[in-house]
Amino acid sequence: MTSPIIEARKLYKSFGKVQANRDISFSVNGGELLCLFGENGAGKSTISACLTGLYPPDSGEILFKGKPLRMKSPAEAIRQGIGLVHQHFVLVPDFTVLENIVIGSEKSLVVQYEEAEKKLRHICANYGIEIDPNTLVRDLSVGEKQWAELLKALYFDADVLILDEPTATLDIENSKKLFRMIDKLKADGIALILISHFLDEVMQADRVAVLRHGAVVGIKRTAETTPEELTRMMVGRDLEPKLRDNSEVGEPRLVLENVTVEGSDQLLALNDVSMTIHHGEILGIAGVAGNGQNPLMEVISGIRTLASGRIILDGINIGGMNARKVKDMGLGHIPDDRFVAGLVPEMSIEENLILGDHRGLYADGALIDFGKMRLSAERAIKEFQISAPSSETPTGNLSGGNAQRVILAREIMLATKVLLANQPTRGLDVGVIEYIHKRLLEKRAQGVAVLIASSELEDLMNLCDRIGVLFQGRLMGIVDAQDTSLEEIGLLMAGQPLEVAA
Amino acid sequence: MIEIVPRKSTGWHTQVAAYLVALVLGFATSALLIKAGGASVAEGFGALYEGAFGSWEAVLQSLVAATPLIFTGLATVIAFRAEIWSIGQEGQMFAGAMCGYWVSLYLGGAPLLLAVPIIIFAAMIGGAFLGGFCGWLKTQFQVNEIISTVMLNYVIIYLLSYLLAGGPWTEEGSTSYHQTPVLADNFHLPLLVDGVKLHLGFILALVAAAICWVILKKTPLGFEIRALGFNPTALRFKGVNVTRTVLVVMGLSGALSAMAGVSEIFGVNYRLRGDVMVGLGFTGIIVGMIGGLNPIGAVIAALLFGALANGSLYMSVLSDIPPSLVPAMQGILLLFFLSASVLVRYSIRIKRFTHV
Repeated sequence: MTSPIIEARKLYKSFGKVQANRDISFSVNGGELLCLFGENGAGKSTISACLTGLYPPDSGEILFKGKPLRMKSPAEAIRQGIGLVHQHFVLVPDFTVLENIVIGSEKSLVVQYEEAEKKLRHICANYGIEIDPNTLVRDLSVGEKQWAELLKALYFDADVLILDEPTATLDIENSKKLFRMIDKLKADGIALILISHFLDEVMQADRVAVLRHGAVVGIKRTAETTPEELTRMMVGRDLEPKLRDNSEVGEPRLVLENVTVEGSDQLLALNDVSMTIHHGEILGIAGVAGNGQNPLMEVISGIRTLASGRIILDGINIGGMNARKVKDMGLGHIPDDRFVAGLVPEMSIEENLILGDHRGLYADGALIDFGKMRLSAERAIKEFQISAPSSETPTGNLSGGNAQRVILAREIMLATKVLLANQPTRGLDVGVIEYIHKRLLEKRAQGVAVLIASSELEDLMNLCDRIGVLFQGRLMGIVDAQDTSLEEIGLLMAGQPLEVAA
Repeated sequence: MIEIVPRKSTGWHTQVAAYLVALVLGFATSALLIKAGGASVAEGFGALYEGAFGSWEAVLQSLVAATPLIFTGLATVIAFRAEIWSIGQEGQMFAGAMCGYWVSLYLGGAPLLLAVPIIIFAAMIGGAFLGGFCGWLKTQFQVNEIISTVMLNYVIIYLLSYLLAGGPWTEEGSTSYHQTPVLADNFHLPLLVDGVKLHLGFILALVAAAICWVILKKTPLGFEIRALGFNPTALRFKGVNVTRTVLVVMGLSGALSAMAGVSEIFGVNYRLRGDVMVGLGFTGIIVGMIGGLNPIGAVIAALLFGALANGSLYMSVLSDIPPSLVPAMQGILLLFFLSASVLVRYSIRIKRFTHV
C-alpha cells in the first residue's frame, strides 16, 4: 500500500467564537480523489485554506509526503507542490493566460516567457486543454477561465491539487471534460481533493469525507455507499420524502392573457405569453436563465410595465397595477437575486422582514411599531429556522441559505393567493432546498397558485403539476409534469415548439 | 499589502474617545499651521477660546453662529442618509432667504405672530421646491444630483446678485452696497435673551434636529430613507414608490437649508445682502459628515463649528492670525473626524506578502 501524499491530523481552526474545523483527520494517496462533502458552512473551505497555507490551523498538523508541513503563506504551499483551483476566479482580466500564470512567480529578474510558454503548451497538450496561452483572460469564456485557473495550479508541478467547487461555473459538457481531466491527473499519481456539494460529482470520487458543523462525520468509499447515505450523513437525519400529493387543482386563480413586455433593445422581453395557474397548483417555468423568467415574475408582481395583454388575479385585472397594490392583494414574490432584489443587506433581519409593510401592517400611526416588528421577527426566526445571533443581525452577514429563509418568511406570510418564486434554491445546499420545497408545497396545499422558475429540471419535475418552458421571451409550451420527460423539456428549452417536440 | 477589516463592534466610549483624539489632533495640526505662519499658538488659541466661550455673551454668540449650521447640517444628514449627494444647501439657503424676503414685501404691517410663520412657510416651500426640482431631474431624466445642485447654486446666487445690484430689491440710494432696505421690526425673529441676537431660530433648529431624529429612527419614511441609501432595488421590488421617496428627501433637505437662510436674514442681519451667509451651506456638508450623518451628531458638530467661527472673529482682532485660517482648521478637523469614523468601524492591518 502506498503511503499518503498529504495527511491532516486533528486539525482545529476557529474564527472568534465560531469553531470552523474540529478534529479534522484524513489522508489522500497519490492517484486518489477524495471528496470533501458538506453543506454550506460545514467547514470545507476552511480545510482547503489550512492545507494551502492561507490560515495556519490552531492545532493539529499537516503531513506532506510523510513530513510535517508548516507554511506561512499560500505562495509557500504552491512552492511545496500544493495547488488550489479557486471557486472564484483570481485572474487579471487584462493579462494573457501566460502572464497570469508567470507573473509573480519569477525567480530571476527577467521573466523567461519562451520557456514558460513551452511548458504551458506541453501541459495543455498533455491534458487536452484547448486554450492559447497568449489570449487575454478578458476574452475567455467562463469555462475557459476555469481551465486557466487549473493551468495555474498544474504549471507549478503540484503533487496535491485541491479543487474548490470547480463545476459551479461550468456547464454539463465542461464538467464532464473536467472529470476526464481528473482521471488523467489521477493516472499521473497526483493526489486530488474535490470540494463539492453536488451528489453526482461526489459519487465520482474514490472516497468521500462527509463534514457537518466543522467536523468529519465519516469517510466512505464511494463503491460502498449510496447518495442517500451520504446525504443522511451530511444533513444528520433522513430527508423527508416529497410531500406532493396528487390532489386535484381547483379553479383558475392567476390568468395571463397575451402578456407582452418590452425589452431593453428591439427584442421583446416577453412575447404574447398566456397561461393559467389554478388554485392549489404549482406551475414550473423551465428554461435557461435569461429567457424571460425575470420579466415574467416582475410583470406579474407589478414591478415591470405591461406593454399589452391582461393579468387577472381572482377575476380582478392586476395588469398595470402598482407593485404595492398587487402585494396587498396577497401576492408574494421571491426574487432571484437575494442580496440585490430581495434584501437590504445592511439592514437587520427584523427590518428586512417588515420591508414593504412598513407603512401598513407595522405602522402605528405615524411611527413604526417596533414592538410588533420585534415580536413577529422572533416568531419568524423560530418558525423558519433562521440561524442568526439575533433579530438585529444585518442580513448581509447571513449565509445564502439563511438569507433565503428571511425572504421566504416575509413572502410566504404575504402570499395568501399567489406565490412567485424565481430560482428559489439556486446555490443552496440540500437541507435548505428540501426545506424550501416543503414550504412551497404547503402553499400549494393551502390553495395558493404557485409559479416557480428554476434551472433545476429534476426539482421542477418533483414539485410541479405542470411545467412551461420559456425561450427568448416566448412560452414554448406547457406540459404535464407526470407525462413528460427530461428529453421533451430539453427540446423545448432549445427552442423547438411543442408540436415538433411531441 | 494593506488590509482593511471591519471591526466586530465598538462600544460607545471607544467611539467618544476616538473623536476626542481626532479633535485634539486636529487642533495640534492647526497649531503647526499657526506656528508655520509665524504667529503665537498660545495667543491664537487663547483668543479663539476667549472669543468662543470667554464670557456668557460669547457662548450665546457662538450659539447664534451655530444656528444656520444646524439647519444646513441636518439638510445634509437627510439627503446623504438616502445616498443622495446633494451639494445644494448653499443655493437652497439663499432661495429660502429670498422667498422669505419676497413674501415679507406683501405682508406690510402684519403682526409678528402672523408674519413670521408665513415667512418661514414661504422660505421652506422655496427651498423644498429647489431641492425637489433636482430630485425630479434625478428620477425623471437621470440627471446626477451633484451636478444639478451645484449648478443651481450658481443660478440662485446670480439671481440674487441681479435683484440686489440695481434690480427691484435694491435699497434706494445704496446700489454700491448690494442690499435690501432694513426689514421692519414685525418681521424679526423674536430674541430669546436681551443684548445678544440669540433668536427663535436656535430653538427651531433644535426642534428640527429632534424631528429629523424621530423621522430617521422611528417612522416609515425614515425606514425608506435608510433602505434607499443602501439598496433601492429591494425597495422597488417591495412596491415602494422610490421616485416619491427621492422627491420627499430632496424637498425636506431643501426646506431645512432654507431655514438657515431665514434664521440668518430674519434673525441676525435684518436685511438681505449678497455677501452674508456665503459658505454656510457648504460648511453644513462638513457639519453633517462630522456628525456621522446623525441629527444629534450634526447639532454637536454645528455647535463646535459655530464656536470656531465666532472665536475666529475675536482671534483675528486680537492676534496676527488671519481669519482665513478658520476654514483651513475646519478642513483639518473634517479629515481627522472622518479618519476617526473609519477607524472606529475598521481596523487596518499590514500583511507581509511573499512572492513565489
